[in-house]
Amino acid sequence: MSSLKNNGLRINQLHVAYQNGQLALGEMSLTLPEHGIYTVIGPSGSGKSTLLRAIAGLLPGYEGELLFNGRSVHDKDTLIGLVPQNYGLLPWKTVKDNIGIAMRIARPDGAGRGRREQDRQIMHWLESMGIAQLAGRFPLSLSGGQQQRVAIARAFAILPTLLLLDEPFSALDAITREGLQQIFIDNWQAHPATTLFVTHDVEEAILLGQKIIIMLPGQQEPPEILDNATVFAMKHSQKRESDEYFEQTKRIRKVMMEKW
Amino acid sequence: MVKRRHFIHLLRLLLVFAGMNALWYVAYLLMNHAILPSPGAVYKAMFQLGAHDVALNVGYSLMRITEGVLLALLLGLLAGLLMGRSPFWNRILDPVVYLTYPIPKIALLPVVMLFFGLGETSKVLMIMLILLFQVIISVRDGVKAIPESTYDVLTSIGASTMQKFWNVTLPGALSVILSTIRISLGTAISVLFFTEIYGTEHGMGFFIMDAWLRLDYPEMYAGIMLFSLVGFVLFLLVDVLDYRFMKWRR
Repeated sequence: MSSLKNNGLRINQLHVAYQNGQLALGEMSLTLPEHGIYTVIGPSGSGKSTLLRAIAGLLPGYEGELLFNGRSVHDKDTLIGLVPQNYGLLPWKTVKDNIGIAMRIARPDGAGRGRREQDRQIMHWLESMGIAQLAGRFPLSLSGGQQQRVAIARAFAILPTLLLLDEPFSALDAITREGLQQIFIDNWQAHPATTLFVTHDVEEAILLGQKIIIMLPGQQEPPEILDNATVFAMKHSQKRESDEYFEQTKRIRKVMMEKW
Repeated sequence: MVKRRHFIHLLRLLLVFAGMNALWYVAYLLMNHAILPSPGAVYKAMFQLGAHDVALNVGYSLMRITEGVLLALLLGLLAGLLMGRSPFWNRILDPVVYLTYPIPKIALLPVVMLFFGLGETSKVLMIMLILLFQVIISVRDGVKAIPESTYDVLTSIGASTMQKFWNVTLPGALSVILSTIRISLGTAISVLFFTEIYGTEHGMGFFIMDAWLRLDYPEMYAGIMLFSLVGFVLFLLVDVLDYRFMKWRR
């Protein structure tokens, strides 16, 4: 059935090996519908980052198929918005220029927009992340949370077909993280790009994903996939208090206890 | 506040300068010999030099330095970037650099003179040779020091090699390039002096040696002062570049 349904991101029998032949990512297959958001959780070394890097085109080689709407994800038509764990901002460019250069490279045709229109869009994204006042600053003068907001603003600003986030909030303190999760999900709901969100935080996986992909250590078994539609449909601020949220936590913890 | 700090900085520089002149004056009094004229006599000689004469000599020296530095930067950047980004080229060029780096380049002066004559070419080439290896090595190390992950986001949105070069490699290596220029400018000026004592009738080196031959010591010292001033201005220029391009580090 899946060969006919080519709507969204299709990962088909993907596996990645290191140069010495050891597996970095065991075989996995997955279909993420267009405009969906799945979270990926797993112990270190289970291949979470490798999965994202393979999709982002940062790995020289992998086996298997990576398709978006039936075409290779490395096609010109599939634009990838990557938010790395270390924010990936260019320290020698201001916040505004960091976003501007990504927009110019991602969409060289510019869709007929001039400098002024681009500036307007950058300011719009910075405002929606609540950091409009930082436009002229350099990344090294910003806090981790502020840099991460810039990185997310940049990823949204190029209007990606695929949004990939690699433990974006892991280096932040709990309060900053919760604030950013709220901002992120608000922005995502306004612009629902097809999203894979890698995290090592069980809470975050439940709060942000329609489905939760639980990677297993050892690269032998395929990941377990947990449906999370009920929690996802709730208002973000109420998710934490709900019974379903606790149920999901328990389910994930059970998998962690048995398999990790 | 900033203005005030600048003012204090300037004041301190002036005080140090005045102090050095005072020491010089004391040495002059102690020696009491024609080979060390008083500061006053040297400054007088300096202001008696024709503006045209000074401009011509300083201009020639600056031109040679600029040509040499630009040439070294151009070739050094090319080789350094190649070695920094491509393991293949690094394997080929690294032994070359490793074997040629310890050769005292100034010892090649007679060779360069034999091959390229006594004119401008040999002077510019000498400066270039002295700087080239330092530029290559520092650019290579600067490029290698840029973490691979810096390129990730641009790679994932399909940036071309040129786009990555302009937006990541060059700005990332610029700080080492600037500090290399700063260090090698001193060397370049010394080498310039050597090359200007032959085959030319213009340039600061010629001017100083000419005054020395004529036993005109005040003018010789005036030449040395002017030469130093040229070096000082070049250093300021690098500082300005640093201020302009390295804002992000503050």
